[in-house]
Amino acid sequence: MVAIDPTIITNILLIAISGTLICIAVHFIPVGGAPAAMAQATGIGTGTVELAAGSGLVGLITASYMYANEPTASMVLVLAAGAMGSMVMLASTMFAGSLIYAFGVGVPFASAQIKKDPITGTRQDIYMSKGTQGQGLPTVCFVSGIIGAALGGAGGGLIYYVLVKLYSQSVLIGPSAAAVAGVFTMGVFYVNAVIPSYGVGGTIEGFHDPKFRRVLPKDAFTSFVVSMICGVVAVMIGGGLI
Amino acid sequence: MSDIKERAPNQLMIFGIVGGLLGIYLTYILPLAGEQLGEKVAIFLKTIAPVAGALGAMCAVVWGADAVRRVAKYGLGTGVPSIGQIAMGMGIVAAMFGLAIVKTLVLAGPIVALITASIIGFIIGWFAQNVIKMKIPVMIRCMTEIAAAGTIIIIGFSAAVAGNFEFANIIKLVFDNGVILAVFWVGAVAVLHPFNACLGPDEKQKRLLYLAGSTGAITMAIVGIAATMTLGASGVITLIIGIILWLIFYKKFWDEVYNDAASVVGTGLIPKTEA
Repeated sequence: MVAIDPTIITNILLIAISGTLICIAVHFIPVGGAPAAMAQATGIGTGTVELAAGSGLVGLITASYMYANEPTASMVLVLAAGAMGSMVMLASTMFAGSLIYAFGVGVPFASAQIKKDPITGTRQDIYMSKGTQGQGLPTVCFVSGIIGAALGGAGGGLIYYVLVKLYSQSVLIGPSAAAVAGVFTMGVFYVNAVIPSYGVGGTIEGFHDPKFRRVLPKDAFTSFVVSMICGVVAVMIGGGLI
Repeated sequence: MSDIKERAPNQLMIFGIVGGLLGIYLTYILPLAGEQLGEKVAIFLKTIAPVAGALGAMCAVVWGADAVRRVAKYGLGTGVPSIGQIAMGMGIVAAMFGLAIVKTLVLAGPIVALITASIIGFIIGWFAQNVIKMKIPVMIRCMTEIAAAGTIIIIGFSAAVAGNFEFANIIKLVFDNGVILAVFWVGAVAVLHPFNACLGPDEKQKRLLYLAGSTGAITMAIVGIAATMTLGASGVITLIIGIILWLIFYKKFWDEVYNDAASVVGTGLIPKTEA
């Protein structure tokens, strides 16, 4: 039997974990899909994948920026840079969206899934318009979104960190490690952003949504397995196993 | 539905795989054949070879769009774009793996990529069906097909920009300059747009396939612009053929829309109201 280098297994596991982080992140982000675009559901009015990928890819850019300027940076710093970029991106998206919901559409922010906002304690049901499932972005959704963005950015940063190190040692890829690692990260990111969006069925409000607890375990398990396969593939591209 | 004759999924699958692989392999084989036939032929074949890659990718776009149609008909709950993005996500992972892993056996690359994509697609489809429980009967098959189509699209268009599908070459001419992002995104839109635009109760396969042809052709034109930067003359040919094909397919799509519409009326300009 061929002895497998423990760093290879660590790398594969790290990629699997980061894929799972991205998957968990998607559950935190308040996405309302098309109903939210018409202010008939809580959340930002676009698809899960668009939001998760949008914030995650900004995280990827900030993480790679950190790595490019400080190649000796520890893993924590690269992950923090990714999380920060992602959080800034999603916070500004949610803020701009909130401005439009409040002053453009003119709806009070309310969640349909809970009676009281767990953070501010404000009652929600009295602000709900009839026939809708809430509107806008209540405080709890905003906070949940920020947590989700941090996880997603850190996840994207982690894959990039692992791969760029791995590929810069490869004979075949060598100097283009950043480009190849970035593109691969993007591929894994999209796969892991779409899987949970199938699980949540298009809309989720955040960690307070009952759906969160119901779908998170099976989505996270799926993402872990799929990301692990992607991890094996990624390591083999670098020429690690053969 | 039943009275309208549709192209069978298998027929389109064969069209996508055979057409796609043929186009991709021609980018590699044509210059080799040219070397045997003399200098002038060699230059000519070397110039037109990359165009074949884009044409092959177009076949895969048509196949992929039909696979998206079959699965997205059930209602994914997340919008059609998500499936185009996962297709390209799986496709790019598999394409990079397939092309990189073969090392000296360059010719095996696209087939290894295709098989890898099918395996990844099958696993994701299986999990979507049995763990996430999406209850879409065609999920596993369509996910496999979409991943395979995605990888052919990525390799085909990359070969059109890089000249052939050797991984070192693709890294230099497609990855380093960022063209891969255009290939990724425009390719994703080419696959997802046809059904996203046509969905609804009066959706017809024929109209969708023409639209898929036109999105594939416009992607080819965009890839042609990128290839002009990397390959020069071959890129211009790709661009021109792309635009011509786009005009043809768009006209066909346009005719189908007119055919299927109950009536086509001009609304005129918005009337000015008096204050």
